Amino acid sequence: MVLLEYQELELLITKVREISGFDFSGYARPSLLRRASRYLTKHAMDLSELHIHIEQGGKTVYDFIQELTVNYSEMFRDPDFFISVRSEILTYLASYPAIRLWIAGCASGEEAFSMAILLKEAGLFDRSLIYGTDLSERVLSSAREGVFGLGHMRTFSENYMLAEGKNSLSDYYNVAYNQAIMDPNLRKNIVFSLHDLTGDGVFNEFQMVSCRNVMIYFNLEQRQKVFKLLYESLGMFGFLCLGKRETLRYSGVEENFRIIDAHLNIYQKIK
Amino acid sequence: MTEQNRGPLNLVLIGGSSGSFVIFEQILKLATRPLPCAVIFVLHRGKSSMANFPFLFKAKTKVRMEEPQHLDPVENDCIYFAVPDYHLLIGPDKRFYLDDTDKDFFSRPSIDATLISALQSGINIRAAMLFSGASQDGALGLKLIAEKGFATYVQNPDFAEVPRMPAEALKQYGRHHILDDKTIFEEIRSVLYSYST
Repeated sequence: MVLLEYQELELLITKVREISGFDFSGYARPSLLRRASRYLTKHAMDLSELHIHIEQGGKTVYDFIQELTVNYSEMFRDPDFFISVRSEILTYLASYPAIRLWIAGCASGEEAFSMAILLKEAGLFDRSLIYGTDLSERVLSSAREGVFGLGHMRTFSENYMLAEGKNSLSDYYNVAYNQAIMDPNLRKNIVFSLHDLTGDGVFNEFQMVSCRNVMIYFNLEQRQKVFKLLYESLGMFGFLCLGKRETLRYSGVEENFRIIDAHLNIYQKIK
Repeated sequence: MTEQNRGPLNLVLIGGSSGSFVIFEQILKLATRPLPCAVIFVLHRGKSSMANFPFLFKAKTKVRMEEPQHLDPVENDCIYFAVPDYHLLIGPDKRFYLDDTDKDFFSRPSIDATLISALQSGINIRAAMLFSGASQDGALGLKLIAEKGFATYVQNPDFAEVPRMPAEALKQYGRHHILDDKTIFEEIRSVLYSYST
């Protein structure tokens, strides 16, 4: 196990910025420290080797950024969240002629596909457009393919059932070569595109933004900037969904939202 | 803020898994206000566990109890419980950080993650303790903490409901102080209320 010190981490952050332009400065340091230590351990590398690899350019720096930013995701993660979205949000949005949803920090698309299924079962899919964004082109290209390892599907199916899905999750994918290939019809109304929450701005107006388990990547200052961006991306009475253990505390926009679900952290923009 | 939590922050880190719940309850009963340290419990629990520990334990102690959120401050005179499905890290800025990197030893929260982050934070660790459990989690963190000269305690594996976790800690580092069945709670009380650091 390679353990890093905070000073060493800061030097690494500077180096990565010089070489790749990617800026980790708004990221939560304790988490970065853990991730960077794990990266070195996994690749049996010490800090000086990592510095050399990064300086040489090439793919190490992008691997490193990828591993430090990739977020963990499941289809229908936190099933009760999807139950609440169905009963609290979709019933509300049902009267809208067009619905735009943004999954911010979508990783390989698990939540975007989950949301597509939810909308389909609510009869709203045909007038919905889901934007899934992430800062990593690599995870996005995997999301665009809509292919998941068959090994994961068991957990995803259990989640789907717990989320009170109307069918069987297997109705929405085909199996080939030990992989689950999502129904291309679901892909039709999903746009996956590159967006960095720490650098890019508002790109559309949404009726719902889901940004779950992303805020824990950021430090206090960066988090407030991202909350401002999400707030400005929502239309009036639009919904903001955060992770199971994330609230609007320290967000700077607490006053602009009302609580829809205090346990699952669903909020509605009211001013 | 009370007088107590204006003093320098002291951490007491307590890890456990299967068989530790009852011990945790007993430790809570020892805790009275003002508590001159921040006590942080990391107990392995399933990701769908919705049990709210501060609520569950509210009859056991009058000390403030919290399930910390991302960026909440770490304060003396408070007892904290790691929430399921996230690692609970402690930053040098004396705030909690939630993290959802991979599990350590199939566990999230992992005891090692909390112990190691506490050590790296530079905040004074009054004591770190490890109790009953069926996992190796915590052994490495406890060893690193002991090697930096902080006090470390391990439940005597002979008395632990599930001996694996304390036994592994002792295997990795032989000089942890061993908590024996007869004196365990007396010793823990003196750790919580010692004013020397």
